[in-house]
Amino acid sequence: MKKRPKIVCRCEGIEEKEVMEWIKRGYRTPEELKRILRIGMGHCQGRTCFSLLVRLISRETKIPPREIKLPKRRSPLKPVPIRILAHFRDEKP
Amino acid sequence: MKSPDVIIIGGGVVGASVGYYLAKEKRKVYILEKEYPTAGSTGKAIGGVRQQFSHNLTIRIMIESVKIFSQLSEELEMDIEWYPGGYLFLAHSEEMKNNYLKAIAIQKSFNLPVSFISPEECQKIVPSLNLENLLGGAFCPTDGHANPFKVTYGYLEGIKREKGKLFSYTEVVKIKKEGRDFSVWTEKGEKFSAPIVINCAGPWAGEVGKLVNLEIPIYPERHEGLVTEEAPSLFDPMIVDYRPDGCYFFQFHSTRHIIGCYTPIPPVLGPDNSSTFQFLTEMPRRMQRLIPKLGEIRILRQWAGSYEMTPDGNPIVSETEIEGFYVVAGMSGHGFMLAPGIGKLFAEMITKGKSSIPLDEFRLNRDFGKKEVMR
Repeated sequence: MKKRPKIVCRCEGIEEKEVMEWIKRGYRTPEELKRILRIGMGHCQGRTCFSLLVRLISRETKIPPREIKLPKRRSPLKPVPIRILAHFRDEKP
Repeated sequence: MKSPDVIIIGGGVVGASVGYYLAKEKRKVYILEKEYPTAGSTGKAIGGVRQQFSHNLTIRIMIESVKIFSQLSEELEMDIEWYPGGYLFLAHSEEMKNNYLKAIAIQKSFNLPVSFISPEECQKIVPSLNLENLLGGAFCPTDGHANPFKVTYGYLEGIKREKGKLFSYTEVVKIKKEGRDFSVWTEKGEKFSAPIVINCAGPWAGEVGKLVNLEIPIYPERHEGLVTEEAPSLFDPMIVDYRPDGCYFFQFHSTRHIIGCYTPIPPVLGPDNSSTFQFLTEMPRRMQRLIPKLGEIRILRQWAGSYEMTPDGNPIVSETEIEGFYVVAGMSGHGFMLAPGIGKLFAEMITKGKSSIPLDEFRLNRDFGKKEVMR
């Protein structure tokens, strides 16, 4: 039975071993790991992976999960097509 | 004992690049970053890299930068996602066309392969480009884009390989010259000392200057950006629309996200980096006007960051009246693209006493009257 990689971020296809490699290099905040690896930058905007990421950081650094700050949330909440957003400006009240 | 050869204040792409080229010259480099690397302006940059400027020195530095970008992945052992997709500056008026033609004459004197092309040629490069009111465009195929995060962290890992150190979450609160060396205190009460301190604090460079009683005319200006989901491959170059309600955007070759921003009129001064609904709706309108086909692509995220502006829109790369204290900041919205070239040249200035391209025009005590046209 072949060992399959453990995926932390499904949208961007980022594996646990990549995350651990950068945590071991001393980058220990979700903000940094997001920027280096694109973790949480995909469609779900971190809804799936950030909790896993926090657990990996906590496991490695022994910092309790509640003390690990999540990256800033950015709007829009869900992906919105360009034409819909553009239409807002064309509607003159 | 915290006594490196050089202390760099600021862990953005400029500090990382300056640090890297000094570390390669066997200087022991410490970078003090008040948050984490790329937390400031670098992390908000969209990643464009161009040589099309109107200022001779900027053009020369950018030619150097592009050379560096094209081999940086191998050098840093990290894929920085460099892609020479070109830059296309659109002209929608005679005035704009003439400005580009003047700039092209200057750029050609440095052997840049830049030319003014017809609307039809623009459409060949950017299929489905809206030709309404278009008179053509200034196109340079050797411009391109790269990933600001990868470049910064790549440089930082390079510094670590050369025995340098990065101190994140380490804000500098006090600097004092004691004899030949500077003592630098952090908010945690730690003390560092070094004969050379380089201010690479981007939009905060003015505040760092105040710590040594220097007046550095750098002020933050808010610029917003956004990024779409991954899209089919649509076009290679950065598209620049300089109309008052224009915008700039390109598609990352590596991840196929479309990323872009615009410059608000009047400029939004100050350090506030909140995102606005106005941008989230106005930017898509401007993008869709240029390429109607973009309508179905979805926006994923918006953000805002600071351009670190100087009065003339050109960087400050300079020694100061305090011997050993230098400023490399005020990149005025071009910090990411300038960083490799400026870092390398500035390191030459420190280690050899002069740089292969003289940087005098970017000294701190210059007349700030002559402005960059291709902002």
